[in-house]
Amino acid sequence: MTNSRKINTRFGEVEYDPEQTVHFPEGLIGLEGLHDFIVMPNKKEGPLFWIQSVDDPQIAFVLTDPNNFFLDYRVEPDQNVRKLLGIEEHDACHALSLVTVPPDQKITCNLAAPILFAPKNNKAVQVILENSPYQTKTPLPSP
Amino acid sequence: MLVLTRKAGEGIVIGGNITVTVLEVKGGGIRIGIDAPRDKKIYRQEVYDRICQENVEAAQWNIADLDVVNPNIATTQMKKVVPTK
Repeated sequence: MTNSRKINTRFGEVEYDPEQTVHFPEGLIGLEGLHDFIVMPNKKEGPLFWIQSVDDPQIAFVLTDPNNFFLDYRVEPDQNVRKLLGIEEHDACHALSLVTVPPDQKITCNLAAPILFAPKNNKAVQVILENSPYQTKTPLPSP
Repeated sequence: MLVLTRKAGEGIVIGGNITVTVLEVKGGGIRIGIDAPRDKKIYRQEVYDRICQENVEAAQWNIADLDVVNPNIATTQMKKVVPTK
């Protein structure tokens, strides 16, 4: 790693390359100050991974690809979102869901406000799907 | 909070490029029209508040819970992949 930096998160010290973070130009909804996240390597196999905020070391989110669970879930970026992500219509853009892991472990994912991620330039935007049937607390299917 | 009284057909201008017009007052509901630049996001308040709250809740997790939960989740893709290992 060149120019690596370290932050103390609530899960311990994390070393990262500032050029490899995912950038949220608008932050997250209600958390507009959180612009850069480190994608943490998965220690265990499974569909969940997590991202660590660089701006606030106390904040981290669990994410998943909702297509792991809901095969027909599709979110296309509109023109505004493509502009924020710096991509064209033909560029790849993946919908990811924020996962809530309560202490009772009845985990849910937020299909109503997905994160659209453009691998081309590591940018992401959270969007709200208004007038959609999707819920903020969608239970993940049990085994 | 600034409080203004408007009638149907009247509006307000915010910051020179956003106008909010009261279109109709009917049966306890008020229809409003909003003209704003395309990059201004406009949400119903309760929807926006729900997403904010969910984001805050999503940030409150414990790595021990995640370690327990992650291997226990069955996914459609994993169901296909795992037996071939």
